[in-house]
Amino acid sequence: MTALATSTPRRPSGQFGHRIRVVSGVVITLLFLFPVFWMVLTSFKQQVDIFTSPPKFFFTPTIATYVEYFRRADIERRLINTVIVAAGSGLLSIVVGTMAGYALARIRLRGGATFGVLILLSRGVPPIALAVPMFLVARQLGLTDKHITLILAYSTFLIPYVMWLMRSFFLSLPLELEESAMIDGCSRYGAFFKIILPISLPGLISTLIFSMILAWEELLFALVLTNRVASTIPVAIAGIAGDTINGANWGALTAVGTITVVPVVIFALLVQKWLIRGLADGATKG
Amino acid sequence: MIQNTRDETLGRAADLATRWSFMMPSIILLLVTLAYPIFYTIDISFSTFDITTFGAGEWVGWANYEEVLNDYRFWDALKVTLVYLVIALPLQVTLGFAIAFLINAEWTGRGMVRALFIIPMVVAPVVAGGIWRMILDPLWGLMNYALQSISIGPLDWFGDPNLAMAAVIIIDTWRWTPFIVLIATAALLALPKDVFEAAKIDGANWWATLWSIALPLLIPIITATFVIRWLGAVKMFDIVLAATYGGPGKATNVLNLFIYEEAFRSLRFAESSAMAVIVLVLTMVLTGIFLYGSRKLEKRF
Repeated sequence: MTALATSTPRRPSGQFGHRIRVVSGVVITLLFLFPVFWMVLTSFKQQVDIFTSPPKFFFTPTIATYVEYFRRADIERRLINTVIVAAGSGLLSIVVGTMAGYALARIRLRGGATFGVLILLSRGVPPIALAVPMFLVARQLGLTDKHITLILAYSTFLIPYVMWLMRSFFLSLPLELEESAMIDGCSRYGAFFKIILPISLPGLISTLIFSMILAWEELLFALVLTNRVASTIPVAIAGIAGDTINGANWGALTAVGTITVVPVVIFALLVQKWLIRGLADGATKG
Repeated sequence: MIQNTRDETLGRAADLATRWSFMMPSIILLLVTLAYPIFYTIDISFSTFDITTFGAGEWVGWANYEEVLNDYRFWDALKVTLVYLVIALPLQVTLGFAIAFLINAEWTGRGMVRALFIIPMVVAPVVAGGIWRMILDPLWGLMNYALQSISIGPLDWFGDPNLAMAAVIIIDTWRWTPFIVLIATAALLALPKDVFEAAKIDGANWWATLWSIALPLLIPIITATFVIRWLGAVKMFDIVLAATYGGPGKATNVLNLFIYEEAFRSLRFAESSAMAVIVLVLTMVLTGIFLYGSRKLEKRF
């Protein structure tokens, strides 16, 4: 309450409106968070506590669903697959995309701008237009159900994404940084690796984590390009959610959903700070 | 002298190679993983599909396109997709900026509220579809329970075609509005404060302030948000797959799901390739129009 009173000393007439804004803002935020909260809550329920009317908010928590579904839905292997694919495609895209983003921001290339526009336009390509030929080619080359296939498939949307973000990040850095380094005898590579990359670390890390989140959540390519060996978590969730023959298995759905969402939320909250700091500090510190 | 110019040419070639070496890896990778598949899709869309070799067969010209354009299911899926886009996009952009205005009120918890808004944004779409399917369940779902306490319902969210579309839009809006909120919050914070104070001194009411000062200043970021959201929304697949699987009937069967089914369930690769090409062209044309329109709009204000 004191915070509310002291924060707006300059317009006492707007107090009431201000308070309404704060309260409704908090209520809306809680509404938006509620489905996630409800998922986590349901994942710790027993079957008898899930299907009740009225819905239960208080119950004896259990991890039975987790224990059961880790075995049954092959969650452990899927988790490992998802980590491999997310890390692989994230790292590949950050290396390749960052270099291209730097080229677009700082290096004059004949036709480079055209390539840049083309690659940015590719953000509008619907994945379904790529899924069919990728499936066919992977089948012909015997690459179906392999991690590398998914990693390459994900790079189609991650490289443009990284390029786009890193390009604007590099544009925000002062030009003198590399100029002075190159006058001091650094090669272009030297300037890039020794000067630019270290300064861009916060931006790089947050972009990498956001890319890995995108790969972690991807469904269409994973459905099309994997069967058993390299299948990922989202495929399992789609399977559980769409399994109407055995009825609604909300325990499994929420348990697997929680496993998928919690690590991502933790990383995202970490990155949120980096992102802001990275953009704010930019080149001033290093 | 000759030696000198040769060194110079070599040096310039080396410099050119260094410059391009930054760009080359992504160009090569995207040629293989992006450009080649697109051309392959186009190739199949003009051919018969040979099930024995699992590749493009005979060239048949526009036959696949004719078949697709005469297929009422394609037009139905296109209509469903358009209804979703026309309702969801303006709704999410408006809601996003409105919420951003609310949570931008200055108080101690503002930073935390903003951080929390990132959470729905990173919930995998397929998980979002799944949990909302549970919340909207007609029998045991929390939503109908809450609605009943204010004497509405019970609503058959996944049995009624219109409600199912509403459900899909609700889920999508829940998943994507926070993204717009975060962009909008930053945009609102970046607005110049003195202009608003001047307007206040001149006695402008809040509507005039919003309409003739805030909105023109925000137009570039609003249109940019719209375009980014559009690029995401045309990829709509996961949420529908997990929440309704296109049902009831074909009421929420968006194009991406329809093409997926035609290709990988019915194995009609040639027809689905033709559809994919149509979607690709439509998306590119509309994206171009939106980019052009947003630039025009920016100039007008």
